Amino acid sequence: MFLVPFTHHRPASLDEVFETLGRHGDDAAVYAGGTELLLALKARVLRYEHLIDLKQVKELSGIRVEGKELVIGALATHHQIANSDVVKAHVPAYAALSEEVANIRVRAAGTLAGNLAFAEPHSDPPSLLSAMDATLVLVSPGGKRAVPMRAFILSEFTTAREENELIAEIRIPVTAAGEGFAYRKFGHLERPAVGASAGCIMREGKPSYRLWFGAIGDHPLQATEIEDAIAGVPATSLPDVLPRAARDCAAGISTASDLHGSADYKQHLASVLIQRALAAACEAAQNKGGANA
Amino acid sequence: MSSRAPSPHPDHVDKVTGRTEYITDVEVPGMVHGKILRSPHPHAVIKGIDASAALEMPGVIAVLTGADVAALNNHWGLYLKDRPVIAIDRVRYVGEPVAMVAAADERIAEEALEAISVDYEPLPFVTDATEAIEASAPLVHETHDTVKDFYFKGEAKPVAGTNIFQRYNYEHGDVEKAFAQADRCFEAKYEFPMIFHYAMEPHCVIASFQSDGLTLWSCGQSPTAIQKVLSRVFGMPLARIRIISPNVGGGFGGKASVKIDPLVAALAWKARRPVRVCLSVSESMLTARRLSASIRVKTGVRNDGTILAKSVSVLMNGGAYADTGPAVAVKAANRAIGPYRIPNLKLESMAAYTNTVPGAAFRSIGGPQAVWASESQMDEIAEALRLDPLEIRNRNLLRRGEHVRPDLRPIDVEMGEAMDIATREMTQLRASDSGSKTHRGTALGISDPGIMAVSSVLLRLKIDGSVAVVSNSVEIGQGVREVLRRLTAEQLKQPVDVVEVLTPDTAIAPFDWGTGASRSSLMMGLAIADAAADIRRQIADIAAIVLEVDPQSVELCEGGIAIGNRKKTFGELLHAYFGIDSGELVSIGRVSPYSNAGKLAQAPLFWETAAGQCAVAVDEDTGEISVRHYVSVADVGRVVNRAAAEGQDEGATVMGLGHTLSEELVYQDGQPINATMIDYHVPTIDEVPENFVTVLIESGTGPGLGGMRGMGEGAILPVAPAVANALAAGYGARIRELPLTPERVWRAIRDRKER
Ligand SMILES: Cc1cc2nc3c(=O)[nH]c(=O)nc-3n(C[C@H](O)[C@H](O)[C@H](O)COP(=O)(O)OP(=O)(O)OC[C@H]3O[C@@H](n4cnc5c(N)ncnc54)[C@H](O)[C@@H]3O)c2cc1C
Repeated sequence: MFLVPFTHHRPASLDEVFETLGRHGDDAAVYAGGTELLLALKARVLRYEHLIDLKQVKELSGIRVEGKELVIGALATHHQIANSDVVKAHVPAYAALSEEVANIRVRAAGTLAGNLAFAEPHSDPPSLLSAMDATLVLVSPGGKRAVPMRAFILSEFTTAREENELIAEIRIPVTAAGEGFAYRKFGHLERPAVGASAGCIMREGKPSYRLWFGAIGDHPLQATEIEDAIAGVPATSLPDVLPRAARDCAAGISTASDLHGSADYKQHLASVLIQRALAAACEAAQNKGGANA
Repeated sequence: MSSRAPSPHPDHVDKVTGRTEYITDVEVPGMVHGKILRSPHPHAVIKGIDASAALEMPGVIAVLTGADVAALNNHWGLYLKDRPVIAIDRVRYVGEPVAMVAAADERIAEEALEAISVDYEPLPFVTDATEAIEASAPLVHETHDTVKDFYFKGEAKPVAGTNIFQRYNYEHGDVEKAFAQADRCFEAKYEFPMIFHYAMEPHCVIASFQSDGLTLWSCGQSPTAIQKVLSRVFGMPLARIRIISPNVGGGFGGKASVKIDPLVAALAWKARRPVRVCLSVSESMLTARRLSASIRVKTGVRNDGTILAKSVSVLMNGGAYADTGPAVAVKAANRAIGPYRIPNLKLESMAAYTNTVPGAAFRSIGGPQAVWASESQMDEIAEALRLDPLEIRNRNLLRRGEHVRPDLRPIDVEMGEAMDIATREMTQLRASDSGSKTHRGTALGISDPGIMAVSSVLLRLKIDGSVAVVSNSVEIGQGVREVLRRLTAEQLKQPVDVVEVLTPDTAIAPFDWGTGASRSSLMMGLAIADAAADIRRQIADIAAIVLEVDPQSVELCEGGIAIGNRKKTFGELLHAYFGIDSGELVSIGRVSPYSNAGKLAQAPLFWETAAGQCAVAVDEDTGEISVRHYVSVADVGRVVNRAAAEGQDEGATVMGLGHTLSEELVYQDGQPINATMIDYHVPTIDEVPENFVTVLIESGTGPGLGGMRGMGEGAILPVAPAVANALAAGYGARIRELPLTPERVWRAIRDRKER
């Protein structure tokens, strides 16, 4: 279907965005790539009289490193992130994830911020960003606040973002020496049925692990049961404990049967993928083991 | 013989640069735009429609509803007159057109749809074919109004008071007796899902009533069928109806026979303006689909693998309107026979109405469903008897000239040769990829194209030596125009570049039965030969008059004629004849069942076949199948345009990977729940096998020019069973339900391990 007619705004600064939003309230929505919003408007699931294109807002652009954090501006597209030397050098696992999001048309226009703000459960970024302990910086006329990725998505299409807030940037801790992350996903339709993210963090020869599931629930799920079961277990001994812990934990995930698969199949995938992701993360940590990697 | 000209599709550059004109690019003066309001109910009575608010909207020109078509002959169909031009008092599937708006632009039309309110009273519905044939099932249609020899030969055989709209039976030998004598009998049921055609161009039609009649620019594959149906619906003589067929962006049967044409024409009739309607992909998904099927196959064999008897029972889900389903049901039965000697054979087939998208012809109608069942079972038998899958096939294969069924044309290809080539090529591919662990699967498919031998063409030789080919063969991406061009050049001994193949237009192009069933290169080629012979006769007669030579001594040569060493250009000859340096010769070529001494009358006209072999690898933890190598072999008789022919073969195979691996239209509570391209996965380049080999055998034994037979559909037949057979061979997991989704594969492998 066609877009219902709307007024288009192209502000150049955040102030202007907020001014426009303030004027039109519920009748207005911001967008970046439009890959989600325009589809929803065309399907008449959403309706807005005013659309505010964020793409000219300088404050929201850019990808850079600040101290120990990689900062991804809200306007960065999946494609830019996947191909950014800065991202590849400092948070390689996230660059790899970006390269596999959707298809090239969506990656070329769609932004990470748009993905997170929309909070469609069948998405790739949230579980890995949670495992990486990323933070979202939200900005409103009243100022800025930081929300951990882990607390941002509340349920399907619902986030901790207030109506007058925008995502300004996503801050991801730079992957340090002795750390490794990896993401694995599977699905036979356009979007992932299940995603799994793992982090392996070596501190003075002792490993600790971070494990998150994505897409299978209505928000990213921390696999605390597995994390507990394998706490302190060296990577080489993981095969003794991990399979069982992964299976048990995955079997407890609450999920419904749908087009992506039956509930038990998705739970099985979660178990398989988390093991694969962790193996890859441990390998990455080892490769990054050098003192100044 | 082999291909000559290097450019396979001269139109490719225009296509990839967006210059090719499709219907959506056509502008007709005064044209307005139509949009369709569709039923949200699987089955309901329409109690009332209020379109007054829509009609008041600025820019809205007309609204069409069932009440408007009362004055027309408002039901149509090619086998059963079961389909209203637009829903009249009842809807029978989710997506059925209920009202239409014509407006100044598409946006206004769409807005206006939202202002139309329809009062429905839901009725009990049935979406599953097995349930639909139970006595308690709600009836989708109360009565069955069949038409005989209307456009297809013969007549459907519905069962009164039921949802069954077609029944077909065939038997030779004594199947029950043979089963009793067999060492082993194997019996199983195989499921094939509803599949969407997914032509890249959704359905698109422009209709315009003018003083000289009704003109349609249609994406249809069968312009003359559309012409005929419109003539009945509007009570207009055929001569006042004109169908123009610009480039069509794919059809695969989804645009065959007649689809949205009567609907669009009715809106133009109501609006008294030319109307353009272009569907979205999602709307096309609600317009036509492949018939799903449950196929029970029982085969009795001796312990050495020799087949003694086979019985096949097909149940097809035909959707809300029969469309070409009656033909599909017959073909599904025949195509389940396979290229084997079967002394005792019993076929039965049934197609039932359900409250789902109408089932329709789709690339090798009924074939992939049938071959899925029978070729899966061949491997099951081989496994149980501990025979190699190739060996059991070889043991039973028909040789060229043997009968598939005594009443059909004997098989006209050597399937053993095709299978051997496939094996040889696959062995090489796997040897070159020794690093990966793959498993091999084989399947053979044969089909009896349902081709009516009714075609005609006009050739117009201009005084400058250029030639116009005027036919109703629709360029639908298969490259038919280039084939006709080359064949015309060959028949008239002219260079290819003087030949122009015109856009089909029923006002000037003579009758042709349609573009489908792998028939156009073959049938139109024969018509061209007939027309070219006539041109040669005319030229010889003219030469006899103006040059006073023996007409027998006149030969065509490049640019003109030769009588021994003496040459004349066409221009010189015709100038002398007409007295002016202007004019043309026109000839008509015809093919009928009586052509070629009646040889075209026997069914099938030829056998379209394919041998497929694949090598697959499976991720046992996720169940994901990757088809790494594929070999497709077919005897096509003769290749006219190699790159295009191979493209057809590859395209058919990759299309087959869709129903093999992921495609399935899913119904829940009467609603199609994945009828969008996001939730319905069609193969992309990612699923195309890394290595793909097509071998086209040119035996020169087909009924067409130079011994060609039709092609373009066969390669889709073996894909699914070949993959399933590889899966069973490698992992012991036999799956009898398509698609082979990762979940089904994972489950089958897991169940096998747990046994
Ligand atoms: C066909 C298809 C396949 C896809 N497959 C995948 C997949 O496999 N994996 C995956 O993870 N994702 C997938 N996606 C989702 C894709 O990642 C998102 O569509 C994209 O990232 C959204 O970004 P955008 O800039 O286009 O968002 P927009 O459509 O512009 O906006 C989306 C929403 O976010 C809001 N928004 C945008 N920017 C901001 C901001 N700075 N602050 C606050 N709110 C904001 C908008 O108001 C809107 O509600 C797919 C999408 C499509 C269409």
